[in-house]
Amino acid sequence: MNKTILGYVPEESPIYSLHPFVRVYFLMVVSLWPMIISSPEWNFALIVVMLILLEYSRVTLSTLKLYVPVSISMGVLILLSYTILGGRHPEFYEVFNLLGVPIYFERIVAAVEVYMRILPMIFVMVFFLSTSRERDILVAMRWARVPFTVTYLVAMSLRAVGMVIEDFSIVRQAEKARGYDPKGKSIPYKLRQFVMYIIPLMGLAIRRSEEFSNALVARGYSFTGLRRVKRPDYVLTKYHFKVLDGVIVAILSVALIALVYARYGLGLFTLEGSLTMKWLQQWLVGGAG
Amino acid sequence: MDREEIWEVEAGEERRPGIIHIVITALLIGIGAVVGAFGSFTLPLGFGVNFFWPAIAVQNIGGIWYGAWGIIAAALFPIISNGIAGTPVYVSLAYIPANAFQSFAPAWAFRRFKADPRLKSGRDWLIFLVSITIGNIFGAFWGPLVVLKGFGLLTAESVPLFIWGWFAGNEIAGIVFGVILLKALSGVVINTTSFVKKWWA
Amino acid sequence: MSAVIKFEHYSWKYTRTKVPALQDINLEIEEGALVGIIGPNDSGKTTLAYSMNGLIPNQYYGVRSGSVYVMGKEVKEYRQAELCQRVGLVFSDPEAQFTAMTVEDEVVFGMENLGLSIEEIERRLEWVVPLTDIGPLMDKPPYEVSGGQKQRVALASVLAMQPPILVLDEPTSMLDPIGRKKVFEVLRRLKEEYKSTIVVIEHSLEHLVPLADHMVLVHNGKVLLADETEPFFERMDFLMEHDVFPPGVMEFFFQLRLLGHYPNSLPLPRTLEEGTERLREMLVGGENG
Repeated sequence: MNKTILGYVPEESPIYSLHPFVRVYFLMVVSLWPMIISSPEWNFALIVVMLILLEYSRVTLSTLKLYVPVSISMGVLILLSYTILGGRHPEFYEVFNLLGVPIYFERIVAAVEVYMRILPMIFVMVFFLSTSRERDILVAMRWARVPFTVTYLVAMSLRAVGMVIEDFSIVRQAEKARGYDPKGKSIPYKLRQFVMYIIPLMGLAIRRSEEFSNALVARGYSFTGLRRVKRPDYVLTKYHFKVLDGVIVAILSVALIALVYARYGLGLFTLEGSLTMKWLQQWLVGGAG
Repeated sequence: MDREEIWEVEAGEERRPGIIHIVITALLIGIGAVVGAFGSFTLPLGFGVNFFWPAIAVQNIGGIWYGAWGIIAAALFPIISNGIAGTPVYVSLAYIPANAFQSFAPAWAFRRFKADPRLKSGRDWLIFLVSITIGNIFGAFWGPLVVLKGFGLLTAESVPLFIWGWFAGNEIAGIVFGVILLKALSGVVINTTSFVKKWWA
Repeated sequence: MSAVIKFEHYSWKYTRTKVPALQDINLEIEEGALVGIIGPNDSGKTTLAYSMNGLIPNQYYGVRSGSVYVMGKEVKEYRQAELCQRVGLVFSDPEAQFTAMTVEDEVVFGMENLGLSIEEIERRLEWVVPLTDIGPLMDKPPYEVSGGQKQRVALASVLAMQPPILVLDEPTSMLDPIGRKKVFEVLRRLKEEYKSTIVVIEHSLEHLVPLADHMVLVHNGKVLLADETEPFFERMDFLMEHDVFPPGVMEFFFQLRLLGHYPNSLPLPRTLEEGTERLREMLVGGENG
């Protein structure tokens, strides 16, 4: 099993036949698609595609459970922002009145549009984090010729995240060993306890910064390696950018351009022309709008 | 060591940015990402916004102790923590100015007014509170107004409420955790080689 | 043999401490020798190690006097990157020096900093991986392998840079007996097959003493005793007065000597095997007599 940022994926997952740069490119490009597409059903289709890709990549789909609360709270907030907190607009069609607050059809449609834009973007992010190892991100950056100092800062940061998580669990275990059990305690109590985590974590980081930099200096690290020598990139020799990788990058790029043209040149993927809009109209307005 | 000495570079004292500063930036990103993701999962509002975000303290104290390095970390770690918590990558990228400024404001104020990071006097407390408040006000306007409104996630009418929510969530967490961290660890940090007196060293 | 490291009236005091960490150190380390440095905690051993590879004064604030020469050149005159090619340093906490996502990246890191070609990196990997027995670990995260494996990875990552002098700061302090044995097995091979100059700072003497050519006792920032291993341990009373606890077999024979059962003319045995043989000879001699 390969340990990815969000979990584990089998080594024989087909996703690993692709160059890591393709995955980073996928994240950056496909995250843009929902911003261009207004039509909720097309964004829903993208969610389905992402689910298929997650399954095809043999990602454990239970990972998605983590994002259920966030997705729900986001949906509720968007809906609140567009309905109850959306102000009074006599020009809009009032579907019903909730304790004196008018709920407009146009606002509900807009909330659905926005929510259906944000969801596939989350799925793209989850797909990326579920299938990528820290090393993949570095390889992608190095392959794209990002300066070494930047890639190294990213590498150390990702390493630091892992280290802090380890420290965090050690501090928690130490607390448990001293009889602290957060179960059933109030949120203010838990937040107070959070202080007990943040101070040792910070203290450990300060101590580690010295050890870490000594270790780097002792192995000849400087901002640019030995400065006068060209720094080789051994890791990159382990990865090969194949024809298939090039084809996928090309398809993603062309699809983005085509999407921009379709949306802004041909007027496709709009909210007005969407099936969701028509269905909502029938359901909420009954054809009156 | 008095508050003037903390920030003063002595005659002949050589201070250069070094590898330790890159390391400290990485470690701050690590802590910020974990603490930030913790906040985002426990009390999420969505889009990387939280009712209560303890990671703001890492931004505040990072800038005070480590100057520009702390600000870089403050700008970058929410990309990781928000990402883990399910925020789309472009929304996270758009938060960068707000996150950087939330770290910059106290960093600048402590250096400009030579405040003691150990918060020894009422003056130090005042500088801390005012500076993080200014940082949070900027963040509170940038987040809901520029980012969330820009991405169409909020309506114009609901923006003021979100500005207030953002500000309050960050301000309370910033004061609580920022004060605790500054009081507990500043005495150690100012004696380390990684402490930044100017902006880079 | 010539001295590859030479301390001349060397002292170092960290900024904001009142007492110097090292005072008036005069010490020579000969080429090809394995030198053991022992002493209680906070006696200045680590400061001595850091002074050999330039971490002091380059990474610490403090007051320095006297000189440290590495291969004939004063440490201060070296660029740090140049010095780390001469003196490799392995730290006591292997995890504190890991900055990469896989063992392979960790081992390669120092070589990339040196600007070695990919072919040379591969050649050195072929040498160092079997030497330190880390072949099966190459794709794993270095911080997820066992304690002994971690220290061998740390050792490999320094050895791969092929420094002529290797300094190890308490390399087995966090290891179990098997882990310790394996680390010293690597050191034995380095000494016997590659004639490396090795300086080992160590508390546990069981594995160090059989290998060491010279021993140095550091106490309160001063070198109290430095000699070849056999005469060094003839000063058993002096060593024990200064909190040095020699291997059990040495202590046993020392007690026998005090009781008049072991002659002064014979050196104290360094290993259990050697001690068993001596005892057998004594018992057989006694029976015959």
